[in-house]
Amino acid sequence: MSDSSTNGDGFGDRAKAAAGWPVMVSFQALNYPLSAIQRIVGIQGMPWIFLLPNLAFFGIFVVIPLFINFAFSLTGGTELFLGNRVYTGTEQYGFLLECETFGDPITCREDRFWKGLYNTAIFIIFQVTFLVLFSLITALILNQKIRARGFFRAVFFFPVLLSPVVVALIWKWILLRDGILNAFLVSVGMDKILFFVSPEWSMFWAVFVSIWAHMGFYTLILLAGLQAIQPDLYEAAEMDGTSKERVFWRITMPLLWPNLLVVLVLALIKGVQIFDEVFVLTGGGPGTATQFIVQYIYNTGFTEQVQNFGLASAASVVLGVVLFVLTITQLAVTRARDNG
Amino acid sequence: MTEIKLKQVRKSFGDVEIIHGIDLTVESGEFCVFVGPSGCGKSTLLRIIAGLDNVTSGAIEIDGETVNNVSASARGLAMVFQSYALYPHMNVYKNMAFGLENSKMPKPEIDRRVREAADMLKITDYLHRKPKALSGGQRQRVAIGRAIVREPKAFLLDEPLSNLDAELRVTMRKELAALHANIGDTMIYVTHDQTEAMTLADKIVVLQDGLIEQVGPPLDLYNNPQNVFVAGFIGSPRMNLIEATAGQNAEGWSLNDTNLSVSIPGVDGLTDGARCTLGIRPEHVSISTDGAGHTTARVAFAEQLGGETYLYCDVEGLPQITVHQPGQLPVVKGETLALNFELENMHLFDANDQVIVNKVKG
Repeated sequence: MSDSSTNGDGFGDRAKAAAGWPVMVSFQALNYPLSAIQRIVGIQGMPWIFLLPNLAFFGIFVVIPLFINFAFSLTGGTELFLGNRVYTGTEQYGFLLECETFGDPITCREDRFWKGLYNTAIFIIFQVTFLVLFSLITALILNQKIRARGFFRAVFFFPVLLSPVVVALIWKWILLRDGILNAFLVSVGMDKILFFVSPEWSMFWAVFVSIWAHMGFYTLILLAGLQAIQPDLYEAAEMDGTSKERVFWRITMPLLWPNLLVVLVLALIKGVQIFDEVFVLTGGGPGTATQFIVQYIYNTGFTEQVQNFGLASAASVVLGVVLFVLTITQLAVTRARDNG
Repeated sequence: MTEIKLKQVRKSFGDVEIIHGIDLTVESGEFCVFVGPSGCGKSTLLRIIAGLDNVTSGAIEIDGETVNNVSASARGLAMVFQSYALYPHMNVYKNMAFGLENSKMPKPEIDRRVREAADMLKITDYLHRKPKALSGGQRQRVAIGRAIVREPKAFLLDEPLSNLDAELRVTMRKELAALHANIGDTMIYVTHDQTEAMTLADKIVVLQDGLIEQVGPPLDLYNNPQNVFVAGFIGSPRMNLIEATAGQNAEGWSLNDTNLSVSIPGVDGLTDGARCTLGIRPEHVSISTDGAGHTTARVAFAEQLGGETYLYCDVEGLPQITVHQPGQLPVVKGETLALNFELENMHLFDANDQVIVNKVKG
């Protein structure tokens, strides 16, 4: 490069002048190592050099643990270090997946795993469905010209800022035997309800609290999608004499679909990963009524007397495969829909 | 064929009145263009006619029926938007058919109308493409096609060419004119581009600050502007407008300012010593061959277009004077010229910017 805006060391003179001497010194300091690296890897290799920090972070904290986890799933015993563990092949998977009848967790050898899967499936069906539905309705309302719109947007987003433990504790105070809700029920002449003693109520509140805590985030994504739809399209539809229902189904929904898909995928993944809120709220109880798959993995690997890392790792791999299949299916559905 | 009437139409947003009482009749089959600078209220007026905005007071009549409380779709008008407003997830066919499907029209009839319109607009080959796979001009055609298939009482077009490049705009302008000639429906067209207004309109409505400045056929507005605003707005390059002081003498009047002296015959409406504005179009300014003229100017910039020449001339104490002459003038930047104004094409406006006379002589 030899134009007037750059010099031999590759940085713009004007940029340097505008930024002042501290930046100039930094530029010079970086210039020599970067030039040396470029001489070694060539200009084609430089993008990889700039990507390296992020790739290293991703590799160390995501890719390598993924492989270590898989390696653990092929071993048995209680030793912590992989080198000391006994290779067992697919034995852990066999143990997890051995069932007389797959529809009935009790007939499975590791029934707690299947109960966790079953509970997670029930949780996801209700949580994702209502989470997406309520987020959509809220986004549609907040997209209208309503009074104090900014205030309501903040109100709905506020729970997202809370830590999951705080969320669970707030609702625990409300729902416990002597909590606010029961105090209210008594004050209006009703009996107390022992929410965390009933499996159905526990699952209901697990779903409810999770929706309350996360809805704001998904509402925000859908609201952004709604606001990206050109107002002219609605006016064109109005001129075309389109009914409100038809506008919603034929214009709003198709144009919101990309955002809706993001919400669906994220909600599903987050739903499968549910742990902390419910763990603090119900502890997985009563019994195993609200014990989900991640809690099973946590208990198996870390809290039980015999810490079975191999089994926990195998369960993690199964969970990962389930998530992968779900995501791929959703993306395939979207692609087919876009092309059709 | 539809007549549209506006009677004392006013529109306010909150406490701010945008349209200040407009009376206008758009005749049946007429191509009427609303023109004016940004913020003059022309798009608002179109949206009021469309039914997308309500009037604050006054009445909109379509074929003699007041439609103030009639919904946009029930007014039977079709609108072409500046952004085209094509549904991005539908292909061209579905975009055009969507409005007809709303009215539960039989499918064969929808198909016939869509294909006829597509044929007329030469977009048949693109019927299965989505808008993102079309060029700007093709999208514009689809937007017009979507309006045509509805067979509306009148077409409302809101700056439909403003997103196109200059060359395509000229092509589409011709096509729009041909389309109007072909279907003959009433069209109301909003633009800020006076060239579009001049080339397309049967009738131009010049708007400024929510008021009509003048209504008339394009050449009538060009030749007989009723005020300084219309004189300056219609015509490209714009009319030279020079302030002067009127002085009465034995032959008539003289219009004087620093470096300007124009003698004109007797004109009613001028008073001795009054400030007035002299208007002269660039093509009515000539270069004096004998060195004597109404003013002497220095060429600041010359545009040689081959078939014609534009000169932008500085005169001390006066606004820059534009000269438009046919052919190629051998003039260079910095040259001093004596300029003459053709009195038979000179306009004179009073101190309130209203016209005194549109032909000073003749």
